[in-house]
Amino acid sequence: MLAKFIVRRALAAIPVVVGVTVITFVLMHSTAGSYVPGLSLNPNMTPQEIQLLRSQLGLDQPLWIQYLDWTGVAWVMQHVGLGGLLIGAHDITPGMLEGSFGQSMVDGTSVTSQVFDRLPNSLLLTVTAIVIGIALSIPAGVIGAVRRGTRTDHLLTGMSVAGVAVPSFWFGLLLILFFSVQLHAWGLPFLPSGGVETPFTGGDVIDRLAHLLMPATVLSFVYLAVWSRFTRSSMVEVLSQDYVRTARAKGMGDRRVRYVHALRNAIIPLVTLVGLELPGLVSGGLVVEVVFSWPGIGLLAYQRALAYDYTMVLGIVTLATILVVVGNLLADVMYAALDPRIRLA
Amino acid sequence: MIGQGTIEELQLTGVDAASFAGRPARSYWSESLERLRENRIGTAAGYAILFLAVVALLAPLISQFVTHYDPTAQDLNSQFVGPGAQHWLGADETGRDTFTRLVWGARVSLGVGFLTVTLQIVFGGGVGLVAGFFGGWVDTLLMRFVDMVLAIPAIFLFILMSILFTPNAITLSMIIASVGWGGVARLVRGEVLSVRNRDFMLATRSLGASNVRLMLRHLLPNALPVMIVAASLGVGAIILAEAALDFLGFGIHPPTPSWGNMLSNAQTYFAHSIWLVIFPGVMIFVTVLAANLFGNAVRDAFDPRLR
Repeated sequence: MLAKFIVRRALAAIPVVVGVTVITFVLMHSTAGSYVPGLSLNPNMTPQEIQLLRSQLGLDQPLWIQYLDWTGVAWVMQHVGLGGLLIGAHDITPGMLEGSFGQSMVDGTSVTSQVFDRLPNSLLLTVTAIVIGIALSIPAGVIGAVRRGTRTDHLLTGMSVAGVAVPSFWFGLLLILFFSVQLHAWGLPFLPSGGVETPFTGGDVIDRLAHLLMPATVLSFVYLAVWSRFTRSSMVEVLSQDYVRTARAKGMGDRRVRYVHALRNAIIPLVTLVGLELPGLVSGGLVVEVVFSWPGIGLLAYQRALAYDYTMVLGIVTLATILVVVGNLLADVMYAALDPRIRLA
Repeated sequence: MIGQGTIEELQLTGVDAASFAGRPARSYWSESLERLRENRIGTAAGYAILFLAVVALLAPLISQFVTHYDPTAQDLNSQFVGPGAQHWLGADETGRDTFTRLVWGARVSLGVGFLTVTLQIVFGGGVGLVAGFFGGWVDTLLMRFVDMVLAIPAIFLFILMSILFTPNAITLSMIIASVGWGGVARLVRGEVLSVRNRDFMLATRSLGASNVRLMLRHLLPNALPVMIVAASLGVGAIILAEAALDFLGFGIHPPTPSWGNMLSNAQTYFAHSIWLVIFPGVMIFVTVLAANLFGNAVRDAFDPRLR
């Protein structure tokens, strides 16, 4: 049953991935098709040299062949004897089939190696932020629910409403302003304002944690705001259930009822909510990565976009989307394994 | 008459008057609006947004008659002048007046916010309506397309399109809406599916109503509440996204002032000129907060599922 479910979901994901590659590819090449970076900087290039450069980048082929080459379909066609259909094609590569999502127009580096170099940094940041978010939002939500209507509850609700409205890049700048610039100016110990570690001298655990602290705090802020409100309302609902009253009626203490019986049921929906953030593991930290110069996938996409490195951006977006789709698939399978009702739906 | 009827009228149509306990029948809309008015925080937030919108519309008059500064006029004698009588909220590295630039920045934030939400409601609503109404392969095709668009991480899609089009306020709205419509389409489709097979639809169709009439006169009014709620909850997130894109340099480019690109610019100088980073951020925060509070109030008042 579970195996059938997995196969069904995996098959449903294939058209989505294919569609996404078409959308991003068409979007990119319909406007940037003949663009070659650096061309405008070098007015002395002869038409022959330009032609050679465009040929090397494969830009002289028809658009549909470029797409088939990029995805690896052209390579398959050539090897099953349909190569004659690819009129005007040259230098066909296996493309995505060998894990290559193209190469940079600017420095020729491979998209795949660049993305996987940065992936651990991005995951470190987002996973830390999610852990901080969970660790703080559950207690905050429980306190709000247990002390419903009190000043503490109103304060927590107010903070979470405000938390959603704070622009993360502004919050990041304010933190840098105080914890890096101001503390440094006062001659106190200060936090580093960017990067994953101090170059040359740093790299130990303390140094890396110091670098992680501010970006992870900023990123966890929105999670915290949303999840604490959710935990609160879920907890309020659970506390009014019959089994809570029963537990209390048989003489169980407040603490035990709240933290053993009620809380366990209240955080089940939170699991789903946290699961919804899985796609954000790869891309969710982009703005924060830029503010704190955190060398993750987001910063990579940002820098390459500013350099008009079209093929690199196209590759990053496609690869990140595939990671997201695969991540969603894994999450679905996990839910199905945990909850039989989903499998049958 | 309809919707304003009293007990006497209802008796005429044969409805048992006793079960209404003297409460006049009222339309969904007047009841929802009344509920919205009773929400004091929501009303205050609504007026705050209205005030900001008026300020944004009057920006040329304000800079001419109130602050006497042009938003892009440079004055090298007042580089980094702090907040005070000359420049109320200080000046930046080329002596441009921060207050004036914030007023003009409101045009970008609110303009893009409202235009984007309109675009995504109209387009997403249309797609959801068509997909839900026709069903079958039309539905499958449209919803699969929605799946694809929503599968691409939004921020990447924004950046991809921004480097292709070098946006102004209108194209930036289209870029942000090109992702946001997917969620609206799913919502509206769901609503249409729940209404489409009711008896009144069959009755209307048997009276000879065309597909277009069925969709616009009978399905759309039923989907309108979720569209209104989605629109009012969406504005805050759109303003945040727009500011983030400006900040990253993929949105409105200088010299046109926007809150996001003012913050981006302030990054270089904020160690000594703190006002440059404080005020634009406060404006974004206050605007998004007001938009979200108003959105929450609208949801509480209009969402039929919360009844």
